[in-house]
Amino acid sequence: MSETKTLPTEYVSHPGEIKSSLGHTVRTDEMIINMGPQHPSTHGVLRLEIVVDGEIIVDVIPHIGYLHRCFEKHAEHMTNYQQVIPYCDRLDYCAAINEEHSYVLAVERMLKIEVPERVEYIRVIMAELQRIASHLIAVGTFGIDAGAFTPFLYAFHDRELILSLFEMTCGARLLYNYFWIGGLSHDLPPQFVDKAKEFCTYFKPRIKEFNDLLTYNEIFVKRTANVGVLPQDVAINFACSGPMLRGSGVNWDLRRDDPYSVYHKIEWEPKIGKGEMGTVGDVWDRHIVRMREMEESVKIIEQALAALPAGNVQAAIPKRIRPDAGEIYARTETPRGELGFYIISDGSGTPYRVKGRAPAFVNLSVLPEISRGGMIADLVLIAGSVDIVLGQVDR
Amino acid sequence: MGSTGKIIRKKDLSIWQKSYIPEIVKGLRQTIAEMFKPKFTIQYPEERFKPQPSFRGRPVLVQENEVERCVACGLCSRVCPALAIEVQASETPLEKERYPIKFEINMVRCIFCGFCEEVCPEEAIVMSNEYELVFSSQEEAVFGKDKLLKTTEELKDRLEFLRQNR
Repeated sequence: MSETKTLPTEYVSHPGEIKSSLGHTVRTDEMIINMGPQHPSTHGVLRLEIVVDGEIIVDVIPHIGYLHRCFEKHAEHMTNYQQVIPYCDRLDYCAAINEEHSYVLAVERMLKIEVPERVEYIRVIMAELQRIASHLIAVGTFGIDAGAFTPFLYAFHDRELILSLFEMTCGARLLYNYFWIGGLSHDLPPQFVDKAKEFCTYFKPRIKEFNDLLTYNEIFVKRTANVGVLPQDVAINFACSGPMLRGSGVNWDLRRDDPYSVYHKIEWEPKIGKGEMGTVGDVWDRHIVRMREMEESVKIIEQALAALPAGNVQAAIPKRIRPDAGEIYARTETPRGELGFYIISDGSGTPYRVKGRAPAFVNLSVLPEISRGGMIADLVLIAGSVDIVLGQVDR
Repeated sequence: MGSTGKIIRKKDLSIWQKSYIPEIVKGLRQTIAEMFKPKFTIQYPEERFKPQPSFRGRPVLVQENEVERCVACGLCSRVCPALAIEVQASETPLEKERYPIKFEINMVRCIFCGFCEEVCPEEAIVMSNEYELVFSSQEEAVFGKDKLLKTTEELKDRLEFLRQNR
């Protein structure tokens, strides 16, 4: 952004006419560039209509809906509440466990079920493992956006280890269908605790290596600091959540501020952006928040594994799910921010209405605001730092 | 390594540093060390990924003593969120009295959630460890009984896993 000021004023002029160096009158105009829907840097099928004046972005208009699958309507037409869970997985396919968590929490609160302690601990362990896996994709692909390919391979290597843990537990690598209303589909396999501990000890030095390789790399810092600055008030006004909001220095994390599961029994703290390399709320801050959140997640997993109580994980699963007529809004902190499910029940076996509040959709709305006035080359970085998953944006 | 915020000028470097040899050696040492580490990736067509018994591959029907276990109750078809299963029942002189004359799973619709396996009272439909599904047309993707039936020997691992985890 600061570069725009150093350019001679006649070259960044508004549409109209300018005098060339030879004295001719040259007409200038804004140009519209389409980015996507099939563009590797839009992280899915997102189309950005970019209005540029030379190299400078005048406006960005996101066109969404290429991946719309009628999730909400679909949920109303299921035979029961349980059947919605596989579809919740498919909202944010990078962090399926967190989506399930939110939906399951909403239905459980509606039914007023007390979930066994063991289930809550396993849910926290799984949700945090999934958070690491999701953030690894986010920072890995963000590295690619910035032109660093190696960190991406490092990230996918480590993510693979987490997916193997999931596969061992519930049989799927991406779309788990693991959390059920009132319990879990399977108990943890006997060797899980040891393998998860092994992963934690392996992963901690890897974060440092990743930071050395990418986060504090001179080239990367130069590329990301002071780019795409999202001021605190704008972040709050646009209802951003997750690393987008915390990157701007707002200390808000639902795991602490609206506690669910057993997060209140575990010692950890939300990480916020402080503007160490540039301005508070720039692209680098969002990146470092994700990196530090992974460290926090490892801490949470280690504590939860140590405190894991015994018990039957299917004890509280209700025989039939038929909540009383009423409505509920339950929200959880997913890797992308606040995911809430607003469910209306009419007392029958199927939900009357399911509304998902998708964090990626809300976060994407701030993209035009933060990229205006920036360089077109930075747009890829800004879009990458928002960390959108189009399955969740379009639902 | 890492940004210290200090700007290093070329004139401040010694001749040894200016030659860049130590830095190149440092970098190459890392590269060469990585070359001799065991590979993490699988060379796919030659090497196959061996799923664990917990893996949820394509659903199959269990065949025991030359007949399928299925009694055509239709619960799997009802619980399927993607409406992929179609069952048509008929009568049989065997002890189970009913059997599926037609049992079709549309593998284009199947979402591998495992609800059919979970709900089955006879343990007749289970998730196998097959993950390679290739079709050249929509019609080919509708698997009938000929493709779905698998003997208990073939599904030994999964049935054992289910026995322990039910």
